[in-house]
Amino acid sequence: MAEITFFHYIHKDTVLHRMDGRLKLICLLLLSLSASFASKLEHYLVLLFVVIFALLIAKLPIKALLKDIKFFGIIILIVIVVDAFNIPGDPIPYFPVTSISTKGLITGLRFAGRLTIIILVCAVITGTTSLMTLRNVVEWFLRPIPFVPEVRIATMISLTFTLIPVIFDNLAEMMYAQKARCVELRKNPIERINFIVFPLLSQTLRKADEIVYAMEARCYSEVRTRAVFKTNKIDWLLLAICISVFLFVIL
Amino acid sequence: MPIVETENLTHIFPDGTIAIQDISLKINKGEFVVIAGANGSGKTVFARHLNGLLKPTKGSVLIDGKPITENIIEARRKVGLVFQNPDSQIVGQTVAEDVAFGPENLNLPANQVKAVVKESLEAVGLSRFSTRSPHTLSGGEKRKLAIAGILAMKPKVIIFDEPFTGLDYPGVVQVLKQIVKLHNMGHTILLITHELEKVLAHADRLVIMHKGKLVEDGKPEDVIYHSENYGVRMPLNDGQKVATLTWLK
Amino acid sequence: MSQNQVTQMPTDTTTANLNLRITVYVALFTALIIIGGYISVPLPLGPVPIVLADLFVMVTGLFLGFKWGVTSVALYLSLGALGLPVFASGTSGLAVLFGPTGGYLFGYLLLVASVGFIASKGKQSIIKNLTALVIGNMLLYAIGVPWLKAVMNLSWAGALAAGLTPFIPGIIIKITVAAALSRAFLPRFNDSASVK
Ligand SMILES: Nc1ncnc2c1ncn2[C@@H]1O[C@H](COP(=O)(O)OP(=O)(O)OP(=O)(O)O)[C@@H](O)[C@H]1O
Ligand SMILES: [Mg+2]
Repeated sequence: MAEITFFHYIHKDTVLHRMDGRLKLICLLLLSLSASFASKLEHYLVLLFVVIFALLIAKLPIKALLKDIKFFGIIILIVIVVDAFNIPGDPIPYFPVTSISTKGLITGLRFAGRLTIIILVCAVITGTTSLMTLRNVVEWFLRPIPFVPEVRIATMISLTFTLIPVIFDNLAEMMYAQKARCVELRKNPIERINFIVFPLLSQTLRKADEIVYAMEARCYSEVRTRAVFKTNKIDWLLLAICISVFLFVIL
Repeated sequence: MPIVETENLTHIFPDGTIAIQDISLKINKGEFVVIAGANGSGKTVFARHLNGLLKPTKGSVLIDGKPITENIIEARRKVGLVFQNPDSQIVGQTVAEDVAFGPENLNLPANQVKAVVKESLEAVGLSRFSTRSPHTLSGGEKRKLAIAGILAMKPKVIIFDEPFTGLDYPGVVQVLKQIVKLHNMGHTILLITHELEKVLAHADRLVIMHKGKLVEDGKPEDVIYHSENYGVRMPLNDGQKVATLTWLK
Repeated sequence: MSQNQVTQMPTDTTTANLNLRITVYVALFTALIIIGGYISVPLPLGPVPIVLADLFVMVTGLFLGFKWGVTSVALYLSLGALGLPVFASGTSGLAVLFGPTGGYLFGYLLLVASVGFIASKGKQSIIKNLTALVIGNMLLYAIGVPWLKAVMNLSWAGALAAGLTPFIPGIIIKITVAAALSRAFLPRFNDSASVK
């Protein structure tokens, strides 16, 4: 079970992988906002062009992306169909099913386009940014905000992702051990869940104490070395592109 | 002056368990000490006092002659502890990040952190794994990673809590080699184990704990004959020398 | 495994730094919520399997109380918003958060907040915990279902059929389990002990 990839990050050496994480996150925001505000066909086309361009330079495997999109495909389809039938308007000319309105279909397609673009942008960003970078970026953005303990949050983020595979392995082992003792024969779902959750919780809580000790043994402190970011000229250029797209869409 | 010294160290848990009792021990610079004892004899609890993770109910710990309570961070830097379960020691998503955890806590400048991480990974031979997820390493490699994480803090004393549990033969050899190398480089080593046959040949001293008390302390060749009284297997056959007790060739 | 054994979990709060302990626990429960999204248990009745993410949200509220429970769930949502695949079946991103099922995700915040708030007030009792869990779940679906209706343009009947009815057996089971667990494990921190 530990094979489940929790990180979409794929290590490569491209412009996007090397890009300053802070600027990358701003680009993510700008492009997602642009997609939400897009209203005209040109907007969608420009956004789609930018995303495809990004996908090409990021050299991400298409297969992984398709997996991402598959889940949304169903939702998108439902929305298009529901909108097409439910939103009143003129029927589509020359189309046999008259209960579908042009307006409804267009609304549905818009929603689909918006969602697709946001999903792709997200895939590009997470595919090219390691979790470590992401955590450092989050810490950097939170730093100026008063009363937000940014280092503590950054530590929580790393710990969460360190713990996931460990807990997962435990869980897998536990479930196999139970299967070996024919847990499937128990039909009561409350019992079944209890057999999973109870040991899972007690094991992980025990682990928490160990982790606290291990971190203290290595002098854990919230006053710690800060990450260094490197910004290239190309990073600024990419940001400029995203800003122009955003302006184009909202103006 | 001993580098680590404990005086009448006693720890009683809130539930009343007396985990260790009146332990007085002096460890000199450069020594290689093996601490043996049956399960539950208090070895781990004792080790956790040496860098202040647990506070004694009674007694005290001195590092370089100074009470540990005076500067606990300094004590933790000087006395590195490699945990019994390496999984619980991993805090980073990549090998390099995990090793950087300690020096980053000490707030070293970023370029120094980088240098010390590189050096520590080289010392344990894990450089080629630096971008790997620690979780995907083998048992032996995980132990080495834990050692690198401690080395990055430049400790003088390194405590190994059961470093061989769960390792296969090559794994034990890998880790043992590393420990002996660290000792040769001048580190003071404290090694907790009940598998004397794997390591005793390298030790200067053998300490045995039993039910929370320190019951034997001396040269391995003297102490070893008493070990079975305290639930630790006596590994020597008739006429065999202590010097043969190692898994290194 | 006997239930009493676990209650006496060694927590040596006197020695270890309480702040660090809280940090670790928050991360741990966030990890559990994420993992809960990947565990599904088949139900004998009905086609919808039970996913455990919301069970762990309830458990988080019971153990961490209001403040740290909310922190943990907020961390979960933020990680998803940043594009890490933490939501059910490995999805992520703003698209999910503001998509049809986004109401349930924001509802988790209300769920953990109300469970944490009610359960950590006053003396521990199973009745109180049960009340907290029921109210929390009502709030969760009170956001989730209308949100689903709005985003998908469904009728009320459709929204209820898609977003509530099939889950009712699961909800009841999960509330039962969470209440039982709250008896076996004591809450970790009450809000008065929490330090910033
Ligand atoms: N947090 C705790 N609360 C209560 N008792 C504890 C706690 N931790 C340890 N003990 C008890 O203290 C005693 C010593 O435990 P310790 O872990 O030091 O043994 P050990 O010698 O390291 O054993 P092992 O070989 O199994 O690792 C045991 O009886 C144990 O049950
Ligand atoms: Mg031990």
